[in-house]
Amino acid sequence: MGLVEIATGKVLSSFSVFLFLTILLLVVARRISTSVLLFSVQSAIIAAEVFATGFRERLAEAYVVGALILVIKVVAIPRAFFSLVHHLKTSHDVNASTTPTQSVFIAATMIYLAYAAVHSYGQSVHVPEDALAAAVALILTGAFLMVSRNKALMQMLGLLVLENGIFLAALTTTFGMPLVIEIGVFFDILIGLLLMGIFTFRIRDTFDHLDVSKLRRLRG
Amino acid sequence: MILLMPLLIALLGAFGVLGFRNPRVATRAALLIGGLEITSLVVIVWQVHERGALQVGRYLRVDGLSSFFLINIAFISGLVLVYASGYLRHIGERRFSSPRWFYALVFLFLFTMISVCLSANLGLLWIMMEGTTLASALLVGFYNTEGAVEAGWKYLMVCTVGIAFALFGTIVLYLAAVKAGMNPVAALDWVSLMDAAPRMGFDPHLVKLAFVFVIVGYGTKIGFVPMHSWLPDAHAEAPTPISALLSAVLLNCAMYAVMRYDAIVSRAAGPVFPHTLLLIFGVMSMVVAGLLILVQRNLKRLMAYSSVEHMGIIAIGLGLGGPLGLFGALLHTFNHSVAKSLLFFSAGNVRHNFGTLRMDKISGMARTMPQTSAALVVGGLAIVGLPPFSLFTSEFAILSGAFTQAHYFVATVFLITLSVVFGGFAYHFLRLLTGEPSRTPVSSKLIPSEYSVMGIAALCLIIFGTRIPHLFSVLVQEAMAVLR
Repeated sequence: MGLVEIATGKVLSSFSVFLFLTILLLVVARRISTSVLLFSVQSAIIAAEVFATGFRERLAEAYVVGALILVIKVVAIPRAFFSLVHHLKTSHDVNASTTPTQSVFIAATMIYLAYAAVHSYGQSVHVPEDALAAAVALILTGAFLMVSRNKALMQMLGLLVLENGIFLAALTTTFGMPLVIEIGVFFDILIGLLLMGIFTFRIRDTFDHLDVSKLRRLRG
Repeated sequence: MILLMPLLIALLGAFGVLGFRNPRVATRAALLIGGLEITSLVVIVWQVHERGALQVGRYLRVDGLSSFFLINIAFISGLVLVYASGYLRHIGERRFSSPRWFYALVFLFLFTMISVCLSANLGLLWIMMEGTTLASALLVGFYNTEGAVEAGWKYLMVCTVGIAFALFGTIVLYLAAVKAGMNPVAALDWVSLMDAAPRMGFDPHLVKLAFVFVIVGYGTKIGFVPMHSWLPDAHAEAPTPISALLSAVLLNCAMYAVMRYDAIVSRAAGPVFPHTLLLIFGVMSMVVAGLLILVQRNLKRLMAYSSVEHMGIIAIGLGLGGPLGLFGALLHTFNHSVAKSLLFFSAGNVRHNFGTLRMDKISGMARTMPQTSAALVVGGLAIVGLPPFSLFTSEFAILSGAFTQAHYFVATVFLITLSVVFGGFAYHFLRLLTGEPSRTPVSSKLIPSEYSVMGIAALCLIIFGTRIPHLFSVLVQEAMAVLR
């Protein structure tokens, strides 16, 4: 067996564990920059998984998608985040509304729930249960980050984590969607982030802070 | 080739109009582009009517259903562009907030909505649906006030997350299709999905799961309760022409997406499951929005909650299904658009003249602004579903659908909510219109761009209420034929 085969097998068998690790670290991270780095690592793990799947299933398309993830999610988006943090001159704290202990407890519960949720579907769909559970856990973590972190930037990051989960779900169940659609989805994410970046500047300029939990004027 | 025309016109128009720094020239250019756009849409609708569905390549397709929604887009966008030409006269040249940026974003917004209707592929449909959020978020935040920024951010976040669930639903449906033996390349194409739907029925769990995610995802954009939180904020804080576009076109486009999925899932897993979900969301939206209408203080928020209520009505029509329910639902999408644009245009005049939309600060409008008041009365009577206006026809069709199918609970809730909404609108509008005039308007007369579109909308409401034009009912029938 060649080295590449061995690497492929290792990646496919262990990437879920690493993803769970990033989830647990993400929910306790206190600085925005740490969270962004963790997101970058998480995307790199998913990119590795894409390459491994592409190699095993002999899908040329997968290499394109993997390269896109590497360029966009591992490099470009984190860089954009760092420059946003720099230009917004905001504090580096994530403004968590849960303590780290609570966060870890919630994250662990979500991982458990993810396994419970995919258990019934795993057999009928013939996909590795771990991978699907990791995808669902990522979706839940993204949603959790969005509701529990008050910084606008962290909400954007939560959205990205959620999107990573959906992408992983698509990858593990169907080896991804047709390439054109995949590229369109990436394009949407990029534009969406650009717009959110514009809005973070506007929020800071009109409200003098980035704490979206204090945006409470419109109600009822 | 003809299918590419409206897309190209909108896209090139969006960038072209950015080149005109002079607001007046930009407005004229926008009207010209809008005219071309509408002409191309009408040509497409006509061709579909004459020759049946058109397809260009893998990804673009028009059939009866999409062409029905294209009429909606063409009609309302025409009204909105003309109204905007007068509405924007007070807006100066600022960064991202000048008339040319406004029109450029409007054309991008139109581009995405037309693409939603032209998509032959459910993946492309999702991409374009997300595109509608992105194109309109800056329009919602156009005024750059505290409220507008907050509404824009909320709109962007809530809708993006919501629609992420729709992506998940799309993926699950794709998985179900591939498992049913479809070619992966064609497994998201609407035509082949409809053909293969009966085969997917052997394992209905995945199809049902897909529909749950899709209805939650696109339901966020439709404004179903409880995912409606972005809707009143966005509608109230956006410039008035945009409020009209959001309420009258965007919500319908999202409803269109749900109709497509509903047809596939009904075929694959039987109609009971999707229709029950639609009924639940419809009844919830109707009741909650109907009650919230009573306590509103801002005129545009009142209209926004009324939109939620009417989306509920349409969902109930879809959920009932059958010829009556479907006919009523489709007709109601159009009728609601016309009535709601008329109401938003009137609300825009109120804001222009009094500088506020707080209903407790305005009274005696009937005396100070007779024309706008007349439009409000016509729109208000139409929106609560009184004859001889067109919404009565469609609501009556849905209601009779509910009775013929023995859905007595739904019918009762429907009737009670309608009377609550009637009471709410009567209470709010009587306080606005009667009494001592509290403020003097800037000008009591309407300008041509305002009274022409409001007149057309009011006329349309009355004509469609007395007798639906033959050609239009044929188009509705063609749309219904697609969903069967």
